[in-house]
Amino acid sequence: MSALIEISNLTRRFGGLVAVDGVSTSVAPGELVGLIGPNGAGKTTLFNLISGFTRPTSGTVRFKGEPIDRLKPHAIAARGLARTFQNLRIFPNMSVFDNVSVGAVGAIGQSALQAVFGRGARRDEITARTFAALDRVGLTDRAGELAANLSYGKRKYLEIARALAMKPDLLILDEPAAGLDDSETAELARFIRELNREGLAIMLVEHDMNLVMSITTRVVVLSSGRKIADDAPAVVRADPAVLEAYLGVEA
Amino acid sequence: MSDLRRLPLVPLALVVVVFGAVPWVLTLFGKGYFFQVADLILIFVLLSASLHLVTGVAGLLHLGHAAFYGIGAYVAALMGTELKLGFLWGLPAGGLAAAVLALIVALPTMRLVSIYFAVATLAIGQMIHTVLLNWVAVTKGPNGVMLFSGIRLFDIPVKGPLAVYFVVAVVVALSIVAIHRLGHSYYGNALRSLREDDQCADAMGVDTVRLKIEVFTLSAFFAGLAGGLWAYTTGYVSPQDFNFSNSILILAMVVVGGLGSLPGAIVGAVLLILLPEVLRGFGDLRNVIVGLVMFGSILFLPKGLIGEVSALALVRRHFVRPKGEVAGREVGW
Repeated sequence: MSALIEISNLTRRFGGLVAVDGVSTSVAPGELVGLIGPNGAGKTTLFNLISGFTRPTSGTVRFKGEPIDRLKPHAIAARGLARTFQNLRIFPNMSVFDNVSVGAVGAIGQSALQAVFGRGARRDEITARTFAALDRVGLTDRAGELAANLSYGKRKYLEIARALAMKPDLLILDEPAAGLDDSETAELARFIRELNREGLAIMLVEHDMNLVMSITTRVVVLSSGRKIADDAPAVVRADPAVLEAYLGVEA
Repeated sequence: MSDLRRLPLVPLALVVVVFGAVPWVLTLFGKGYFFQVADLILIFVLLSASLHLVTGVAGLLHLGHAAFYGIGAYVAALMGTELKLGFLWGLPAGGLAAAVLALIVALPTMRLVSIYFAVATLAIGQMIHTVLLNWVAVTKGPNGVMLFSGIRLFDIPVKGPLAVYFVVAVVVALSIVAIHRLGHSYYGNALRSLREDDQCADAMGVDTVRLKIEVFTLSAFFAGLAGGLWAYTTGYVSPQDFNFSNSILILAMVVVGGLGSLPGAIVGAVLLILLPEVLRGFGDLRNVIVGLVMFGSILFLPKGLIGEVSALALVRRHFVRPKGEVAGREVGW
């Protein structure tokens, strides 16, 4: 099975700091991969490299067989890679529906001329896709409300719905459980696993080790920009190098 | 849902007012001056609505809108005087010239971070104004261009203030419909996402730079049309009508009316043109009063008279053909 996304020797330097240092890994279709590591390990930088927000110093990223490491974020997104951000980033002065519709417009597209003169197939497709994504996260009944009025927990789902409206092949989630309490985190974990069972490949950065270990099929561990482990959760949990990176104990 | 609720009440009322009540009342007064004020209001409604697309919807601070208005006016006027091409040529040519210039300007500047973009638009506005003022061979410099030919539609001269008013009203109304559809569509949602968080929009597949260039160009097109209307209604264009203070006046209309709201931009334009006229009795004091109204509205109504947020319910109920209804709320464009 060829990989959905293949990261080879990816390196990013910021001045003297090597934020991501020769990382290679891959995600196969349908996989749910966790990405963990201590603060400053380079997890978010790796996500930014994959999604085009940061250019790699060297190395390549191939998505569905094609190199994407020189593409702009919107071009990568259009190829079927959706991401969320570490700190919730919704469009506060737009309705819940309109927030999610941006994901669908980004994927399907609507030109200015279509907006002025357009009759409809595209518009109906965007509407349908937006409703489908809202349904999936259970926000349909709040579609007309201003996004800023949603609770913190609901906004997390709004952000995911926006990504789902893009109908991505790979969804990368940057700390989705940050700021959620235990029961909310458990609910979110169930939801992420459900999405994955429906066939969506997911990459997940998370601090909550229990969450990562309980739902992922494979865990990649970064420390100081380098990959120190890449294996099944149970194996990684027992890996001395991982324990040392996290706890600072000599193994 | 009853069919009555689907009737577009607000647009309908606007059509009745603009094409019925206003010309009727003005005809009763029978003064050309009132028609000039009415034309001026319509022209500034179009300017304000077009800037609303860039600044209110897409969130780009644009400080040189009047310059594109000026390009439209000069192109329409000079086509009339130099090439003897009338209104039906000059008006679209003015719009297109403004749009082409905006496109050329936008290509290098749109990558700038917002505040630098604002400074760039300020500089471009000043440059265009300076060219209009000093390129005497073409623009006649500070003397301006006199355009005597008047509006002709397919060889039929449009005579009298009422007929001219109707021509202006039709052009402005059609433009407003187009601007409304641009703003209230999924395309408009993509524009709004630029205002809200353009990096995030980028991650959703929205080509942010391209979209900003597009909206800037489209907005200049409508400003250019407004310029053509100005040239043909007043018969005279001069550089002072397109200087920085006019850009600020248009911006003030958008802000006072409420950022992101098309009805707000329209109300803002009507208010800021009408107020100085109504206050003529106060002499020079009227400018102070207008200033105080602007100041007060920003101080006490930071979202304008009908800002995006409070306008949401209104826009939903009256300006949108609903695509679905959820829990009593209509959603979709």
